Amino acid sequence: MKELRSVIKIVTLEKKDILLSILFGFLAGISAVGLFGSSGYLISRAALLPPLYALTVLIAFLKLFGFARAIGRYAERYYSHRATFTMLSNIRLAVYEKIEPHAPRIFQKYRSGDLLSRIVGDVESLQNFFLRVYYPPVVMVIIFLATIAFTTIFSLGMAVILLVGLILTGFLIPIFFAWKQRKIENEVREARGYLSTDVTEFLYGFRDLKIYQQLDDQQHQLGRSASAYITEQEREGKQRMQTQSVNTFITLLVSWVVLGFGAYIVETGDLNGIFLAMLVMISLTVFENAAPMAVLPSHLEDSERASKRLFDLTEDVREDQGSTVLEGSKARGFTFNKVSFRFPDDRLNSLKNVELTIAPGSKTAIVGPSGSGKSTLMQLLLKIHPVTSGELLVDNWKVDEVEQESLWNGVNVVLQENHFFYGTIRDNLQIAKDELSDDEMVQVLAKVELEQFSLDEQVFEKGENLSGGEKQRLAIARAMLRGERVWLLDEPTSSVDALTEQHIFGHLFEQAADDTVVLISHRLTGLEQMDQIVVMEDGQVVEVGTYEELMALKGYFYQMKQIEKSVIG
Amino acid sequence: MKHLSRVAYAQRKLIWLLVLASLLIGATIIGQAYFFVAIVEDVFLNDQSFQGVIPLMIGLFLVLAGRAFFTWLNGRTGVSLASKAKRHFRGKIIDKFAKNPVQASLQGQSGRKVSVLMDSVDEIDGYYTSYIPQMIQTAIIPVMILVVVFTHHLYSGIIMVITAPFIPFFMAIVGIMTQKKSEEQMEKLSAFSGRFLDTLQGLTTLKLFGRSKQQKEVIEETSLGFRDATMNVLKVAFVSSLMLEFISMLSIGIIALEIAIRLVIYESIPYFSAFFILVLAPEFYLTLKDFGSAFHTGRGSTGAANQLIDELEKEEQVIEWGTRELQATHPPQISLTDLSYQYNEASSFRLSSLQARVDSGSNVAIVGRSGSGKTTLLHLISGLMRPESGAVEVNGRPLSDYKEPSWFGELSYISQSPYLFSGTIADNIAIGGKGEHTRDEIEVAAEKAGISDLIASLEHGYDTPVGEAGRGLSGGEKQRLALARAFLKRPSVILFDEPTTGLDLRTEQILQQSIKELSKTATVITVAHRLHTIREADQILFLEKGKLVATGRHEELLESVHEYRNMVTIQQGGDTA
Repeated sequence: MKELRSVIKIVTLEKKDILLSILFGFLAGISAVGLFGSSGYLISRAALLPPLYALTVLIAFLKLFGFARAIGRYAERYYSHRATFTMLSNIRLAVYEKIEPHAPRIFQKYRSGDLLSRIVGDVESLQNFFLRVYYPPVVMVIIFLATIAFTTIFSLGMAVILLVGLILTGFLIPIFFAWKQRKIENEVREARGYLSTDVTEFLYGFRDLKIYQQLDDQQHQLGRSASAYITEQEREGKQRMQTQSVNTFITLLVSWVVLGFGAYIVETGDLNGIFLAMLVMISLTVFENAAPMAVLPSHLEDSERASKRLFDLTEDVREDQGSTVLEGSKARGFTFNKVSFRFPDDRLNSLKNVELTIAPGSKTAIVGPSGSGKSTLMQLLLKIHPVTSGELLVDNWKVDEVEQESLWNGVNVVLQENHFFYGTIRDNLQIAKDELSDDEMVQVLAKVELEQFSLDEQVFEKGENLSGGEKQRLAIARAMLRGERVWLLDEPTSSVDALTEQHIFGHLFEQAADDTVVLISHRLTGLEQMDQIVVMEDGQVVEVGTYEELMALKGYFYQMKQIEKSVIG
Repeated sequence: MKHLSRVAYAQRKLIWLLVLASLLIGATIIGQAYFFVAIVEDVFLNDQSFQGVIPLMIGLFLVLAGRAFFTWLNGRTGVSLASKAKRHFRGKIIDKFAKNPVQASLQGQSGRKVSVLMDSVDEIDGYYTSYIPQMIQTAIIPVMILVVVFTHHLYSGIIMVITAPFIPFFMAIVGIMTQKKSEEQMEKLSAFSGRFLDTLQGLTTLKLFGRSKQQKEVIEETSLGFRDATMNVLKVAFVSSLMLEFISMLSIGIIALEIAIRLVIYESIPYFSAFFILVLAPEFYLTLKDFGSAFHTGRGSTGAANQLIDELEKEEQVIEWGTRELQATHPPQISLTDLSYQYNEASSFRLSSLQARVDSGSNVAIVGRSGSGKTTLLHLISGLMRPESGAVEVNGRPLSDYKEPSWFGELSYISQSPYLFSGTIADNIAIGGKGEHTRDEIEVAAEKAGISDLIASLEHGYDTPVGEAGRGLSGGEKQRLALARAFLKRPSVILFDEPTTGLDLRTEQILQQSIKELSKTATVITVAHRLHTIREADQILFLEKGKLVATGRHEELLESVHEYRNMVTIQQGGDTA
């Protein structure tokens, strides 16, 4: 139950709807008992040829119970479902709120596809928590207690039989079958997982599969996992049918015992025969309320699992500890003092003893082969990861003490992978800043040479309909629109041809004339104007200097340049 | 609905089993009422001793056991039916996805497609597990009860016959109303699922731009919108069951009143019959009402069913292939004849009237600024997409004349982001080859692609799992893996989308060398981003805005084409310092 604490807290917020659900659930259940009990009594009474008015009163009662049951059922359903869906919305928000502070660090731990299937799926499955787990037992127990109390008026023994029946069908049998069902459900889940992986791979790897002529194999594989999933589902379904049937049989059996016992005590004179039909009818009806208990354990377990996964997502992801708020839009400087960094699961340091000063308003290029730690360096600047040892200063504040959000508020970032949302170009640009006019956006689109795009042009999920270069240029446009004074650019033009790159950088450096710019560059060209070039190799800064200094030095940069020339020339 | 039921009735054996189970359930319902009434009558009115009713009690017990058993049989058959149907539909959807051209698979909403295959198929379950069995029960059990009631008391039977039609009539009206609503809801649901994924995937971007807090509102808005949509559908369902309840209650009331009057005032009906009818009447209406709720489940499945059918009936350009074998004794010659392509009507981009010839074994570079149509052209040449008009000709024959395996068997396509399949590194290299390959061959290919050192440094070497469930690879490593696939295959046509993202210098070198090596025995078409590649090319196709502006060698184009010179000298210009 511990796992469910967060969910229960959220559910309990909907107090009014919960109470109404229970109240009307009870009303509906007890009216049904009343309805059938009184009809049993009515018919017995009628056999004794009573005066018509007595029958009329009874029939009026019958109608009353009938109406109460129908309306109670309606209201119960209405309020319980409303509570459920409000609750789901709250859970989604709660989960999002929980994850949001930990992004993007949390994505290091999970792939976002996983997050999606977890959140969407788990939240959906929690809808059964309230509907099938939380309130039905309460309703059932109250109805049974009321019914049993009523039965004691006629026969204590019969009340005991009902109580035993309740314990059997409400608790023991469901628990027994839940235990049996658990294994099957695990297998269903597993099979579903395999299918989902295969489908994803099939759809996302489609082009490669097609060309490698592996599509048929993969399709068969997919067919097999689809078939395995259905087989498991079928087993589960049959098992469920068995559980239900056994439970039904037991409830029928209890009523059978009630009838037999009733017949016996009528003979011994402990019960007036006129009540026999009524009591059997009551017994048959009251056990209808125990039926939901058959499915409760498996829903409980599902809910526990879902809840645990949802609310454990952010465990062992460190919270932002910073409290210093960076005020204002300002060209800031950065200082690395013997900074080392190691990814949590790695054995070796990714950055080793980095010493580097990035002066406010300066232009820094970082170059080096892929895997040399350039992007990691930038992630430290953005406080996406904490420094493992050494000290990183933003202006004069230690980065650990700076509030992450205020740091991000002051930077224009272009990452290697930039996300674009399903919507229009306008939607995607407006993320940059509030109150952007269409004019501004159109102007910036022209600067990144995307004037052929209208602001209303559709962007697909993840920008799938845009080419790599278009995505990068849109990301640069977004950074330009943001207009802050620190630019952190991670290979922003790697998919853009040289000519376009030159134009775009022309505009970018014009806008950033007085700003701090840190540019991770995939090319060694066009670096002449930079204030400093930082050359990295294997997590270390191997050279720092201006273009001319480094070329004169004839060191690592010079050699890279020679190789690049020979490659291009 | 039609599609769903057709699948059900194809399963004759199961349907007959359902009919049989329903008949038996009907019999046990009637039996239960009979024994129950008989026992009460004996004990209460006839003052039978307990011993006297024991045979009846045994009878009742058997009937109850039978009822539980046949209900189980019925439910179980429904589950089998559902499994058969789900298997059928999922298989068809998979077939459909497999036939989609590449463009369709790129056209976004892959999440939605996953959801169609996973969730929509699961959602039709209710149609088979509850709707169909219940429909059969409803066709059988009430009739059985009616027959029994008629034999006991004509007037009660008549009341039942008159009142019963109100229930299906009412249900039909409600059903039509809910169907529309549930379809709306399905759309909202899938839109929502896409939206949420998108938000999560973009969380880093949102956070960097300080927008993540605002997304909460979006999530809340969509969630509550979803709730309201669902409640709207449910409310109709709830109201309808309320109404059905009223109808059946009223009907039972009329029967009870009629019987009571006959029993008490006219004394024209035996007590047994009166009681018997009164016990049976609720069962009669209950079956009809159960059909009501099953009907809603069935309707609920229609939304999902429509999504399935939509997906199945979506018109896609099917890529047809011919029957010719591609003779690979020498690298093929490829021509573009008046080749045109447009993604869709609305798209502003169009590849128009391309005319070019790529000689056997030659090395051709497609050059142009980004967005000029280079990758689209490569897709057309690869046969993954079909031109709108004109043709790609291979050895003088349209590409579509050849057998698909024959063409792809000769082709390697090295894209900018090769896909990593979940499996080991060895599996991932072998997937690019032809048929079975020994570990030795794989290792040789990896060696050639300059990735063997890296693999050797891994704890599990070639058996290291990668992809979905394993280690990720860097861009450079993926490129080299793709090269290893090509070395294993030794194709006679290579289509190469040269990476633009910064690879490490070593990978750069390896790429150059490898392509050179591979091109000795192949016709190579490269979307080129490197001057080196361009200079080496036998022929350059220079594209601008979807048009082929010029063809020729590098030096020729430098001299004669202004735009080309502009584009290339920038790169060189920055380089001469």
